[in-house]
Amino acid sequence: MIEVNGYWNPDKKAAPRNHTLILSLNSFCNNAARSIHNIVSPTVLISHPHGRNEIGINKERLWKSLLGNALNPNVFSILVVGYEEKTTGAFVEELRKMSRKKVESVLVLNGGTLNAIHEGSSKAAALVQESSEYQREPIPISEFSLGLKCGSSDATSGIASNPALGKAVDRMISLNGTAIFSETTEIIGAEHILAKRGINSSVSRAIMEAAKRNEDLAISLGVDLIGTNPVPDNIKGGISTIEEKSIASIMKSGSSPIRGVLDYATPPPDKGLYFMDSPSAATEVITALTAAGSSVILFTTGSGNPVGSPVAPVMKITGNPNSVVTMKDHIDVDVSEIISKGKSIDFGGEKIFNALLKVLSGKLTKSEILHHDEFSPIPVGL
Amino acid sequence: MEQKVIQLSKKDNVAVAVTNLHKGDILQFDGRKLQVEENIDFGHKISLTDLKAGQDIIKYGEVIGTATHDIPAGHHVHIHNIKSLRASKND
Repeated sequence: MIEVNGYWNPDKKAAPRNHTLILSLNSFCNNAARSIHNIVSPTVLISHPHGRNEIGINKERLWKSLLGNALNPNVFSILVVGYEEKTTGAFVEELRKMSRKKVESVLVLNGGTLNAIHEGSSKAAALVQESSEYQREPIPISEFSLGLKCGSSDATSGIASNPALGKAVDRMISLNGTAIFSETTEIIGAEHILAKRGINSSVSRAIMEAAKRNEDLAISLGVDLIGTNPVPDNIKGGISTIEEKSIASIMKSGSSPIRGVLDYATPPPDKGLYFMDSPSAATEVITALTAAGSSVILFTTGSGNPVGSPVAPVMKITGNPNSVVTMKDHIDVDVSEIISKGKSIDFGGEKIFNALLKVLSGKLTKSEILHHDEFSPIPVGL
Repeated sequence: MEQKVIQLSKKDNVAVAVTNLHKGDILQFDGRKLQVEENIDFGHKISLTDLKAGQDIIKYGEVIGTATHDIPAGHHVHIHNIKSLRASKND
């Protein structure tokens, strides 16, 4: 059994971090939420440009993203910064129903932004002090859930970083852990390979159908995917088509059986490897993965990508020897020796797995150190 | 000798440059010689054989697109001479 030094959070979920979250419920609460976050330390911040007049699926997804991220294992307590009483009250009530975490709230409509900052900072300070009492203790790695993502991919992603991450993920799954990968557009051209890994025919069919839905959507828009996916930096890095990108992209999921296809921002029902049907842009995917309970994101990159998350460490892994130098402030794990020195994929997998154990035990990622806390609760990309 | 290109599967008709390739370079490849016909950047693909317009491009042992032009061996293979077979308005 492999153990790391993590926390058991108030919901008895394993967590590598013990954050107090300042969560803005809508765009014009961002100012107060950000001010409270700046005054009260350490806290993490969720702010976003939504929260009014959403309808149908957008409303559902906004609610699901915000609730899911508040429920993320790394969040130990929450200050909700809302505008008016009804929506804020409903959100707080829903959170309290689903979790034993301490939840406080403050209303901007109750005396304005300055008043909300004053009242909210006082409440947040008490939450931070309580969250800080939790101690790290040995926890089996099987209790953690990983989110997998690739971004700013180039030709090295398919040669080095993605297959190496796949080895680390295979190991995580063989130890009875959990991992989720997504990016539906980036299985187009590779769905036949993934479908063979479904644990039954209904999972295999769901994988094929997810790819077809996104392909049909692209066709219905009357556009070429080229320039959107692959994006210009993918093309500069040598990737020519979506098929080429997809075949490399799915390598990060390793070779384990796929137990199910999850809806956007939906937690897996059990341990093991899952695919989430989602858009492909980094911020949108990470928001959905952390809403689904991933407490650390393993992120492979070719040319280098700075993206982070408010609630989870995002580990950047590259196999590109140039990016190790040019984007060094963002890279956590260097597996470029697979290309520059002919080292094995297994060597890369081992390096990533060992780095993961350290991050789960408290080592900070560059994304955390540089305050990369991007968040996008309503996906619009393909 | 420093490895200059990687063929990811034996089925592939393209390889990936893992260093910047220059016109006139001679690659020792799979027991034969391949002359580089134009400069090709790190990470970009080189044709290993003469490819005909309409022919499948194979990388990782899988189809990644189709040639839009004839591509003689030793040339740069990218968006100017291959295209996706998926989600394309031109299909």
